[in-house]
Amino acid sequence: MTFAEYVKIRQEKFGAVIFETLKEKIFVTNKTGKAILNLLNQGYSLDKIIANLTDNYEADMAEIIKNDVVTFINQLKDNNILLNDSSNPITQ
Amino acid sequence: MNPITFEDLQAPLFVAWQINSACNLECLHCCEEAGHRIPGELNKQEVFHFLQQIVELNIPYVAISGGEPFLHPHFFTICEFLSKHNISIKVETNGEFIDEEKAKKIAQLRFRSVQISLDGATASTHERLRLRGDWNKAVSACRLLIKKGVNTEIVFVPTKFNIQEIGQLIDLAYSLGVYGIYTGKIMRIGRAAKNWDILCPSEKDYESFFKTLNDKVDYYDGKMKVYYYPYDVIEELKYRLKFPAASLLVLPNGKVKLIGPLPFICGDLKKQSLTEVWQNYKRAWRNPKVIEFAQRVIANPKLLAESNRWRKV
Repeated sequence: MTFAEYVKIRQEKFGAVIFETLKEKIFVTNKTGKAILNLLNQGYSLDKIIANLTDNYEADMAEIIKNDVVTFINQLKDNNILLNDSSNPITQ
Repeated sequence: MNPITFEDLQAPLFVAWQINSACNLECLHCCEEAGHRIPGELNKQEVFHFLQQIVELNIPYVAISGGEPFLHPHFFTICEFLSKHNISIKVETNGEFIDEEKAKKIAQLRFRSVQISLDGATASTHERLRLRGDWNKAVSACRLLIKKGVNTEIVFVPTKFNIQEIGQLIDLAYSLGVYGIYTGKIMRIGRAAKNWDILCPSEKDYESFFKTLNDKVDYYDGKMKVYYYPYDVIEELKYRLKFPAASLLVLPNGKVKLIGPLPFICGDLKKQSLTEVWQNYKRAWRNPKVIEFAQRVIANPKLLAESNRWRKV
């Protein structure tokens, strides 16, 4: 998974801002979203992101986190922030 | 999570930079009144000091306009710097200096887009509004950029002279293969404010204009972006009083305007850091002097003519 070419991400105290500069759309996310974006930026796969974030939690909590991560990543894909192919470089 | 406002951000998300005031044209509706040289424009060293701060603050998106930006002696050096630091660049131009070689360079630098002003579907209409302008050169620039794979956008400002050509222009834009066409009501600022009586379309003209736009939005859905901003500058001002943008408008001399339609200067990049200017910008929107003047402008739009008589806040 890679970020689309004109997507820029900036870390903020509250979390992060995602700016899709081609469509001029801005999204904000909290600190959990910021952590996921950082892992995506490091090239982590979905499974590795989930494993990383659920590492210190019990199974029932881990399931909740997993669902949140999947939902968040699907939202990024639906808004063309994140692409499945590897033709575009990650930008940050 | 509480709604985020511009005050929560450590830096602007967008910089609109009028890089120079020099222009080869003298458009009747120019909101910057470009064409004359503003004293004290940023020199190369000051420009790069500013650019360095844009990078350090991780500002993701810079729109470069003028004047005519291609007349700036360091235009491509500036763009190379921004591109190297992965900042999205949009350039707003009359297109007349874009030849094969420049189009190639723009494509290599991966600009987010080039926005070309095309104020008519025909040369005579465009050139009546854009004095000394050359419609053929602007159209040729679109073709060259599109051929090189550059996201090319067209901007159209409606006036009494050209408003009837919007449908024809949108069709032309599609035939050229542009990424999008953008328009909205003419802004009563700068030279447009001075020429308001001869430029401002009638309500009836606008009615037909927006109807055509709605039809074209539907027709080109999924094929080309047809975007129009339905509000005038007064509506925009009312909105911005409540929700200021996370952006700065930087003038050729390094002074920073609060917003186009108001005359207030909230910083000076020759004397202050970009971070200081950003803090001033945040404070200025809560300044009673600004709020009171903005409300007077809203009540009496003729005051928009003062937008380029800068005053410090």
